[in-house]
Amino acid sequence: MAEITKSNQNKNKKAVSYQNMAKLFIYIFLIFGAFISLVPFVYMISTSFKTVGEALGASFFPKSLQYENYVEAWERALFSRYFLNSLKITGISLIGSVTVSILAAYSFARIKFPGRDLIFGIMLSTMMIPAMVTIIPNFLTVTWLGRIMPIQWINNWPALTVPFMGSVFNIFLLRQFFAQIPDELFDAARMDGAGHFRFLMQIVIPLSKAPLMVILVLTFMGSWNSLAWPLLVTSTPDWRPISVGLLNFIGEAGQEFNLIMAGAVISIIPILIIYFFTQKQFTESIARSGLKG
Amino acid sequence: MLEKLKDWFKGYFTNHRIRDWKENITGYLMIAPSVILIFLFGIMPVGFALYVSVHKWRLKQGRFLGVDNYLNAIGNVTFVVMFFMALGAIVAAYLIIKKIIPEIKENGFKAWLMSIPGFLYFATIALFLRYIWFQLPEFLGIADKLIGQEKTQELFSRLMKESFEVPVVSAAWSYFLWTLIIAILVNIAFNYFFKNTENGKFISKFMLFWTALITGIALIYFTFQEVFRVYEEAMETGTDPGVWPQVITITSGVILLALGWNTWKGANKNTSNLQFFLRLIGATSLLIGAWIMIGEIPIVIASGDKDLWNGLKVTVFFSLGTVPFQLSISMFLAVLLFQKLKGSEFFRMVFFLPYVTPFIASAAIFRQIFANRDTALINLLLRSLGMEPQAWLQESKGIFSILTESMNFSIPDWATGPSLALTVIIIHSVWTYVGYNTVIYLAGLGNISTDVKEAAEIDGANKWEVFRFVTFPLLSPTTFFLSLIGIIGTFKAFATLWVFRESLALGTANTFSVAIFIEFFEKLRYGYASALAFVLFGIILILTYVNNKVQGSRVFYG
Repeated sequence: MAEITKSNQNKNKKAVSYQNMAKLFIYIFLIFGAFISLVPFVYMISTSFKTVGEALGASFFPKSLQYENYVEAWERALFSRYFLNSLKITGISLIGSVTVSILAAYSFARIKFPGRDLIFGIMLSTMMIPAMVTIIPNFLTVTWLGRIMPIQWINNWPALTVPFMGSVFNIFLLRQFFAQIPDELFDAARMDGAGHFRFLMQIVIPLSKAPLMVILVLTFMGSWNSLAWPLLVTSTPDWRPISVGLLNFIGEAGQEFNLIMAGAVISIIPILIIYFFTQKQFTESIARSGLKG
Repeated sequence: MLEKLKDWFKGYFTNHRIRDWKENITGYLMIAPSVILIFLFGIMPVGFALYVSVHKWRLKQGRFLGVDNYLNAIGNVTFVVMFFMALGAIVAAYLIIKKIIPEIKENGFKAWLMSIPGFLYFATIALFLRYIWFQLPEFLGIADKLIGQEKTQELFSRLMKESFEVPVVSAAWSYFLWTLIIAILVNIAFNYFFKNTENGKFISKFMLFWTALITGIALIYFTFQEVFRVYEEAMETGTDPGVWPQVITITSGVILLALGWNTWKGANKNTSNLQFFLRLIGATSLLIGAWIMIGEIPIVIASGDKDLWNGLKVTVFFSLGTVPFQLSISMFLAVLLFQKLKGSEFFRMVFFLPYVTPFIASAAIFRQIFANRDTALINLLLRSLGMEPQAWLQESKGIFSILTESMNFSIPDWATGPSLALTVIIIHSVWTYVGYNTVIYLAGLGNISTDVKEAAEIDGANKWEVFRFVTFPLLSPTTFFLSLIGIIGTFKAFATLWVFRESLALGTANTFSVAIFIEFFEKLRYGYASALAFVLFGIILILTYVNNKVQGSRVFYG
């Protein structure tokens, strides 16, 4: 009997040490992965504080911190203007896209009308179309619209925002969420005499903070990332977003890598702030939207 | 009579019906803005791009070219594709008619009679497209006429009116309108004479049938015409374009491929060993034959546009270099994170960070790290390991040839692999997307019920066996989804590649999308760029289909 307990204890001890070993290995791998993920960021920040000579040199860290780099990059690259432009573009497309998508998503989720599923299917299938197919005709359309309308489209906000207001992805995301709202809520609201619109405004929207937050972050990321389209439709700095601004600055600054890195830091900061605040909802809804395909 | 009508009205518009109608109209009104926007900037552009791609179009619309843009891009494969599309349309028409005729006979109607309204509706659509064909250039011209003039409402409406009053346009419009009216009248008459609830279904099916059939025939006619034109042009220069042999070879190659695939699948079901082997041998030889014949495609495409052929190769390397690494690394990390150790939330956030970083900024960082300097971070690392510094983003040599050169033997041209410049882009892409894939794998792992794993553990499986035989197969839907997204994403990728573009890399990092954008943005060849974009679209569709076929059958949904 005693022997059996002893061997069991031994086994347990072995198992514990085995588990500890496994944990250690897992941590080693995870830390290695985190290291690879973070090194570029650290390098960017350290380079942004270097002098021009140091940025070309071999040392990883600067001797003394050159804060002026940020001031210089900010002024030379017109970042203040591009920042404001990007914020305005994001704001306008968000307002437009959220309004349009909420209405459509609600209608697709909760109202039954003939042809609903067919229209939704056609909309979803447009996600297959690569942007390179639509970019040329859209450029022609936008040019045309700008010529016939009293308002300028190219080099102005309409060209940068209106084509993205009808976002299939946003509609899809919101529809999936709206469809999960229990019918009882709607019936109760209807008993109290509320129509679709009041139900939408007073019950559905307050309930949908999470997906709306995701749309906010994704729209923000989209407008911070988009390159091809703004490159086409902005030829002056008036409405040029930060993505194109940074690209131009990379070409302009040439060998002054410290300034380029300072510019990169500036352009990354706002999106990181938003990400840290919405981190949890964001990753979760990415995971969910991914699984549903 | 009037009384009767009133009664009918009263009977029809009950409270219930009125409420239904209100509901429907609310629904339509709510989707209207998004439908208009998505139509204008998502659906219409496809047709418009097709229109642009058959014209000479540099900044402004030029003359009609037919399939010349496509011929310049992918050579005679154009004819093969058209031929296949035509065959597909005719087969579709046959399948529709085969299904619909017995159903109609069951209802005791004559099929040819039922096909009349369907044909009329098809004619309406065709005539509408014809009207658009004539109207579009006039519409586009309005913008040019407005240059230098004050934009007033009056001027615009006058020009609109003028564009409509061009004789060809208004004639096309009236043909369309009259056919539409006749079609609707005939439809009403049919509903009156043949009372049947399924009339609408029959008519729409027949409309599809006529559309497929006539499109197919028209495509065949058009293909032949274009082929003869090519031969005529070739006669003058005295060269042989070799269209027919190529079309025949490739077509039979595809047919062999389909046959081989079927035999291959059938081989699994057979119980007798001999039959199994015979089938296997048959399938293999069929597939080899198909491969030899389909091998003609790259040769033909390579004889087309050099930039495009190069872009295609680069894109394939990019895809093959990115997707497998991305998936395996992120699956590994997800499994580690799923152990729910302390701090795994933190690690997840860190891995996700590259994905949220704006591409242009992270590409700028990578340009700095992989710069062509001895003091660039990566070259410092190489030197500390005792290796030669490289030119990285400005290196057009293939990665395998660089690796083998350092070991003092050379390899043939076809095996040089992606250029070092492209390798940097692949590393960047993997770095960016690993976090995203990890998050989705984590969700996939969370969906696997612990019961199965516990059962396996009770049966004595060790951790590796549990992963290999339980977790991995149950993750296959996620893997399938991510690989599809990854492949399509690499084919569509543009922004990062544009930032990384270095003239010194000699275009070895210009993917298909970049090649299209260069044609459009720098060379201003809108028509040709549109044709290239359609080729890309076709490739993405084929890849999606093949991925679904090959991988979809292996996905295990638990």
